[in-house]
Amino acid sequence: MVRATDYGYEIKAVYSPEDIPGFDYQKDLGDPGSFPYTRGNHNQGYRSRMWTQRMTAGLGSSSDANKVLKKYREMGQTGGMCVISDRVFSDCIDPDHPLGRREAGVLGWPGCSLLEFEELMEGIPLTGQSITLLGSSAPSSLRLAYVVALAEKRGINPQEIHGGVMESPFENYFGQTDVQPFDINLKLFLDASEYVLRNKIRMRACIISQHFQESGGNNAQALAIELSMLKELCGLLVNERGLDFDTVSQLPYELVSIGTRFFEEIAKVRALRRMWAKMAKEHFNAKKDKSCQLLIAVHTSGRTMTYQQPLNNIVRCAVQTLAGAIVGCTALDNATMDNAIAEPSPLAARMSLNTQHIIAAETGAADVVDPLAGSYFVECLTNKVEEEGYKILRTIDEMGGMIAAIKKGYIQQLLREEAAIKFRALDKKERLVVGVNHLVIPEEEEFAIPIQELHAGDSEAIAKRMAEWKKTRDMPAVTKTLRQLHADAGKGDRFNLMPSIIEAVKAYATVGEIMGVIRKARGLSYDPFNVIDCPYELQ
Amino acid sequence: MGKGSGIKVIVSMIGLDSHTTGGEVVSMALRDAGFEVVYLGTKQTAEMVVNAAIQEDADVIGISSDASNYLQIEELLDLVRKNDLSDVLVVCSGNISMPQIEKLTAKGLAKAFSPESAGDEIVDYLASNTRSRHVASMGQAKCIV
Repeated sequence: MVRATDYGYEIKAVYSPEDIPGFDYQKDLGDPGSFPYTRGNHNQGYRSRMWTQRMTAGLGSSSDANKVLKKYREMGQTGGMCVISDRVFSDCIDPDHPLGRREAGVLGWPGCSLLEFEELMEGIPLTGQSITLLGSSAPSSLRLAYVVALAEKRGINPQEIHGGVMESPFENYFGQTDVQPFDINLKLFLDASEYVLRNKIRMRACIISQHFQESGGNNAQALAIELSMLKELCGLLVNERGLDFDTVSQLPYELVSIGTRFFEEIAKVRALRRMWAKMAKEHFNAKKDKSCQLLIAVHTSGRTMTYQQPLNNIVRCAVQTLAGAIVGCTALDNATMDNAIAEPSPLAARMSLNTQHIIAAETGAADVVDPLAGSYFVECLTNKVEEEGYKILRTIDEMGGMIAAIKKGYIQQLLREEAAIKFRALDKKERLVVGVNHLVIPEEEEFAIPIQELHAGDSEAIAKRMAEWKKTRDMPAVTKTLRQLHADAGKGDRFNLMPSIIEAVKAYATVGEIMGVIRKARGLSYDPFNVIDCPYELQ
Repeated sequence: MGKGSGIKVIVSMIGLDSHTTGGEVVSMALRDAGFEVVYLGTKQTAEMVVNAAIQEDADVIGISSDASNYLQIEELLDLVRKNDLSDVLVVCSGNISMPQIEKLTAKGLAKAFSPESAGDEIVDYLASNTRSRHVASMGQAKCIV
């Protein structure tokens, strides 16, 4: 068994002041709420604002997901809702597409049109809680348009809504591919980001390192990836979209993955806050303190949930949730004990949400800000992971930044190699996982937990409903808005498509139609899978 | 000569599943053990996978799955049977629950490996259970529509 961090730093038996030479409290940590924000963004921590305790929803039809969201609210999840899209919506095709109808509503919410969002949000407020919609990058603009359109219908000023619906365009390279080309994802991400910033809508963009780590990336690599994504995207919004950095800094939030190696995970997030604060000040010349504070949401690691002895995952989830609480996050959502087996069952979801409630209410972890500050071990780990992260960040910078590094295949190679190292470490028992390669029990002694069954007919029902409903729309309005979008999409990358996407969404054009039209204007096929043709005359 | 010498394996995702790490890592472990691996990647349909197996004269089809696309694995198994490829071992790995494994096994799935399966376990199983290499020529292979 190795005793080292995942980026290869050998851990000693004992830590002392010698392990943090030159430690300077003000310079390295600062009080909570002070630069460089290593200890957190708020001087009163969770006493001034408790983290948003949430479970991700999205399975079956929009009405099914609506019921789950309402149930979560009954279970104490009132600070914010989080819904993940199914793969059909993530790939920007409709449920009645031949490839969509088999997977609609299977791994998430089938949000292909405003109709679906209206059904998802029936009886659920848009304000007073954060609205988080996850999925891939390409439909970010659609998710934003849904929020804006529904706010208008409900007579709400969109500036009163907060949450996060956009996703960075890089996840495509982090082991979770989608079908849209990078340049479209980037353009639409920048359009949506510029739109919310100029219109003062408090919708954040999720800069996700979670996928990178869940696909095998180590902690130091994750820091480098996070910082280089932030640098690239904020740089584009400043330099290409003409926005002020202090405005742009209010856009991103970082979604980090927290695994079971408790102290290392805490060190990683502390280092991330410090690295961002320095980048904001030194690279972007931030003028406001707030611009140096990175908002961090935590997802406990699905990757660490084991197939064997799934009840053990409750313990893993608790350790990770405690780490997530201690790092000072703005929101936390959990993996579930059945993560390696199926989609979350109601029991598993309740268990995970209660894990958060127990840690928030019973452990005292929320009473004190950054309770491990000053620990020789934790400060040393914070310095080490930062140091290693900076080495990789410099390499990416030397290549010309994140986009250039991806074009060279550097990031993909980094991830492939690291995933292989992690796989081999388990194979060789260098890392032990109880029930998997350590203290394995016979299959007959396994405890069966309830399984969330999938029903093949559900996807087909969603597809059929969509096909029928499409015919009932005001087709002249759909056609008119799609033609306008097509014309606008031909006006170059700097022409912001959000206004015309919002109009198309309000006319109930679907994601397949909206993305199809944008693709056509860019010289691509209407359908990313080349199965269906564009049903509209666009000229 | 590795344990997998002379054995050709198709590794693929199926449907819209885009979690590529598992398939890539298993492909690497199989190649290290001497198997010939044809990695199809993402966004494959059951028809595409079976066509590839026919064209490549593969001994094994391995599907990497993330908690969603069982229906399409069932379709794949139906196509394997329909195309007289019963000597091609079909295995899968990923987040697959016991009820789903039972359904797939009834349709001819040889083995479902759990997400944390050791590389040796997969290598040994495929090396021991793959058909003896047959002498079917490409001319005998059937094309499906």
